[in-house]
Amino acid sequence: MTHKQILLQNIHQPNQHTISGYESRGGYQTIKKVLRMDPAAVIEEVKASGLRGRGGAGFSTGTKWGFVPKNSGKPVYLLNNADESEPGTFKDRVLLERDPHLCIEGMIMAGWALQSNWSAVYIRGEYGYPFTRINEAVKEAYAKGYLGENIFGSGFTHHMVVHRGAGAYICGEETALINSLEGVKGQPRLKPPFPAVVGLYGCPTIVNNTETLAALPFILEHGAKSYTALGTEKSPGTKLFSVSGHVNKPGVYEIELGYPMEKFIYEDCGGIRGGKKLKAVIPGGSSVPVLRADEIKNVTMDYESIRDAGSMLGSGGFIVMDEDTDMVQVAMNVAHFYSHESCGQCTPCREGGHWIEKIFTRIHHGNGLAGDLELVNNVCGQIAGHTICPFGEALAIPAMSFIKKFPEEFKGLIKDSLVGINKKRELMHYEEIMGAH
Amino acid sequence: MTELVTITIDGEDHKVAKGMNIVDAAALVGVDIPHYCYHPHLSVAGNCRMCQVELNGRPKLEIACNTTASEGLKVNTHHTSKAVKDAQAATLEFILINHPLDCTVCDQAGHCKLQDYHYEYNARPSRFLEEKEHKVKAQPLGPTVMLDGERCIMCSRCVRFCDEITKTSEIGLINRGDKTVIAVDPKHPLSNPLSGTVVDLCPVGALTHREWRFNTRIWFTKQADAICPGCSTGCNVKVATRDGEVVQVKARHNAEVNKEWLCDEGRYGFMRFLPKKRITGVQVHGKAASLQDAAKALKGMQGEGTYVFIAPDLTTEEYRLLKKLKDTALKSAHFVLAYKERSLTDVEKVLISPDYAPNFKGALMCGLVEGNLQKNYEDALAAVIDGSAKQVLVFGDRGILASDASVLMTAAVGRASLTAFIGTDATHPLAEVCSVVIGARSILERSGVLVNRGLRVQYTDKVIEPPQDTVPTWKVLSEIAKVFVVALPAWISDRDVTLWYLAEEQKLAGMTIKSIKQNSLVIGDAHGN
Amino acid sequence: MEHANALARVDELKKKYPNPRSAVMPALYIAQEIFGHISDEAVTWVSDAMQMPAVQVREVASFYTMYYKKPVGKYHFQICRTVSCTICGMCKLTELLHKKFGVKPGEVSADGMWSYEEVECLGSCGTAPMVQINDIYFEKLDPRKLEEIITKIAQEKPELRYSTLTDQIGAGLAGYAKSEVI
Repeated sequence: MTHKQILLQNIHQPNQHTISGYESRGGYQTIKKVLRMDPAAVIEEVKASGLRGRGGAGFSTGTKWGFVPKNSGKPVYLLNNADESEPGTFKDRVLLERDPHLCIEGMIMAGWALQSNWSAVYIRGEYGYPFTRINEAVKEAYAKGYLGENIFGSGFTHHMVVHRGAGAYICGEETALINSLEGVKGQPRLKPPFPAVVGLYGCPTIVNNTETLAALPFILEHGAKSYTALGTEKSPGTKLFSVSGHVNKPGVYEIELGYPMEKFIYEDCGGIRGGKKLKAVIPGGSSVPVLRADEIKNVTMDYESIRDAGSMLGSGGFIVMDEDTDMVQVAMNVAHFYSHESCGQCTPCREGGHWIEKIFTRIHHGNGLAGDLELVNNVCGQIAGHTICPFGEALAIPAMSFIKKFPEEFKGLIKDSLVGINKKRELMHYEEIMGAH
Repeated sequence: MTELVTITIDGEDHKVAKGMNIVDAAALVGVDIPHYCYHPHLSVAGNCRMCQVELNGRPKLEIACNTTASEGLKVNTHHTSKAVKDAQAATLEFILINHPLDCTVCDQAGHCKLQDYHYEYNARPSRFLEEKEHKVKAQPLGPTVMLDGERCIMCSRCVRFCDEITKTSEIGLINRGDKTVIAVDPKHPLSNPLSGTVVDLCPVGALTHREWRFNTRIWFTKQADAICPGCSTGCNVKVATRDGEVVQVKARHNAEVNKEWLCDEGRYGFMRFLPKKRITGVQVHGKAASLQDAAKALKGMQGEGTYVFIAPDLTTEEYRLLKKLKDTALKSAHFVLAYKERSLTDVEKVLISPDYAPNFKGALMCGLVEGNLQKNYEDALAAVIDGSAKQVLVFGDRGILASDASVLMTAAVGRASLTAFIGTDATHPLAEVCSVVIGARSILERSGVLVNRGLRVQYTDKVIEPPQDTVPTWKVLSEIAKVFVVALPAWISDRDVTLWYLAEEQKLAGMTIKSIKQNSLVIGDAHGN
Repeated sequence: MEHANALARVDELKKKYPNPRSAVMPALYIAQEIFGHISDEAVTWVSDAMQMPAVQVREVASFYTMYYKKPVGKYHFQICRTVSCTICGMCKLTELLHKKFGVKPGEVSADGMWSYEEVECLGSCGTAPMVQINDIYFEKLDPRKLEEIITKIAQEKPELRYSTLTDQIGAGLAGYAKSEVI
């Protein structure tokens, strides 16, 4: 099935990442039109398009822009969240590498709507090569007068900086990103106040995901209605899904929201490799609950249907697992990720996160104890909803979902008594020291 | 006039100032919301999660420390919300999973908020069976403070204190996750003049005083609510003593005076207010005598040639007595307060006053002295040296500072016709040359009223029991007054004198010892700076 | 002298931001290039260059995984160990490196050439399993392919780093694309 391509339209063109390549295919035309629009009208158009944040939160982009107070007397900042670290997600990487000017044009449009004269791309430190692509693109844009003072001869000033992260998943959280950019530890802030009111350097700030910003040129060229014509009523438009795991054709796919999930796996992604059977799917990155193969029968790829099935669309990090996958190992793997990435600021996540990992590790080693699963669920219940930022929910809710969906696998590793536990704990500790898997 | 709003806490309506922090508002109306990282004089961190409450009936709990009072706000604490109770117990369980079971060797035991809250809000055994995280224990952060990395609950109070109050930024929280630990840069250890304050701020035993580590269990000590007599800031302190020794000094919270801060000089140097070698009993011309004899021996003093040097750390009651003498028998004598300014660094200025005179405002308030105190003191010293001072009386060790008691000065005093030293320090140069020497009591051994630089009236409890063969200064003054036929009541204790004084002094009309301790009030005064 | 150039570069970076303090992250990258890792010397250098308290430099440096607290090899292998890479055979890559380099994760080989560690999701899940060597990704690996890469690196000594100081990325390893995501 061919899907309407808004974002990935040109990524296979060999020179799309250069300004000449981008412009040869119609780039940097719509921005000239936008710069003649009333900024408030731009915000309204984006609101009307129903565009939702593509980083994972799915919040209405136009509505978020509307939270910036008018006449605060402070500069407004726009930040492109290219920190993309959600396990299973690699879509923004493709945009930054292959069509960086699409991202830049989208950012300038957002900048105009927000009347922001300074924006930054916060790109994760590990994306060394994509960083050089977007970095070069920004330089090209400056050279042609598309960034800087009086861009496109419009009188509007807009400066853009590309800032590299240095390896911290939590910096994808918008207030942590802001802190990191300010030059302090990338730890999330208490909300309220919200970034739209108090953000970077205490000024109104909008943080948008790369994919969200890349959708703006299409919306502002063809109008909100062209966007709502795609997808579903509550989930309009297209979304990039990063497919990985045990499929024959992993990679980044752009599909209209509302497409059937099973069809996506078996047709577009070529089905399960090696002729194996599907066992589980994580549809939106490791922060969303896992779904069993039997649970996705009538699920479509949009925010509402996946939510009704008990998971979330999230970042669209689509991880497919076959029948041979050890789900206890996956749970342990994910728990290790969160305990490693916890910023350490607040008690439940800092202490509870590593606790969950230690329990799952002990279970995976065959030393589970009666009561462990109830304990994990109880501890997770005291992490989710009790932390400074949604990292707590991301840590806890998927952990509980693994136990809920695959109880037999966990229970099979649970012993009934404490006998022998100390000896086994010694061995486990030894293995940890020696670094064995 | 602050705007008041009505908030409901656990079903009861209360009127509080709009914008007031909910932790403070609840405490004000007698409802306890447990907390670690929140401090009324530091920025809000919101990381411990101990103060979670239910707001407006919403299922997701919020932290009280990041909530301010607004009209109609409904708060449910652990008294009326099971979710809050569970969250508090969970928070404590989380803190305790990696916290070492050091109580048996930890200085904080007995006055530890982790112990107290666990007993109050959790009291359940831990379900943690795994290996705890291990960090460096007994790591000096600087000359005054020791860190135990494992005990730290990462509330960041110490970090915020050094960033926001002293602005010296020595402390940081490095690493992330549960590897997070307090640290200083090796080239910039914790060494600001208020460094010991972080130990008071630390809710647990992660930060301890290197000076006093392992010296005692807190429950073996006597505690006194005193006012530090180091300078005229008048920081409120709690002094713990054991067997007559000061074993720990903690700051007490007073929003108007010292917040909850204390300088190192005051804290660690508390014992300097006691002499190493004491003057005991009463001596007249080198022979033991009674107090009455000593008073009679002083009858010769009156007139222009009499110089009365007064230490700036006597109680206000004693200044009042001196003023009575000044108004009656010693009208033409010179009354001089030993007052000297000192220069301060910017960090010191955060808390310390530029003097070593805790009660100079008390002396001013009583009308005992006036004008340029330092100049008057220096002129008086000169008068002694050039011989125009015929009689010299010194009340208190700091009446003439030991550093000012030069050889010349001491000799001059020795030549004066009538001299008296009413103090504690037998090694003070003047103690040997005065004709009348009376063993008095240090400010730590008395209770009384002190007035700080901001004209705030405060009350200090006695910290240490005085030796029996010493005399309170008010008793000396009372005997002197008798000699000059000035009638005073027969007091028995410091408290008697204080009560007499409160009745006498119009400026303190209506105050009692209790009311002074509860609300430190500022006195408007013509002498005030 | 490298340090003088570096200070000038830090000043240049400071000017790009509304608040110069934001330049501490690139300054740390530059310090890492000069000193090899974030040593005490590096901390002092950044603290002076940024006019920031040294402990706050340490806070920032220790928060992120890409600022190295200990020396690393000339070629530092970062193996992704998160979900997709693990279920696609990451463990075999770690075992290979352990065997070939003869050191444990976090240690440097005796000749200073090689070191490795396991890291979290690198955003290359569709081309799993994969490894980041210095600043460049090598994707769709199996032990044989990884062994070939190591041999080639040992022979050709390619530049695989991005330098914040010069704003240049190395040429990469000949015959291997810098990105295979699509």
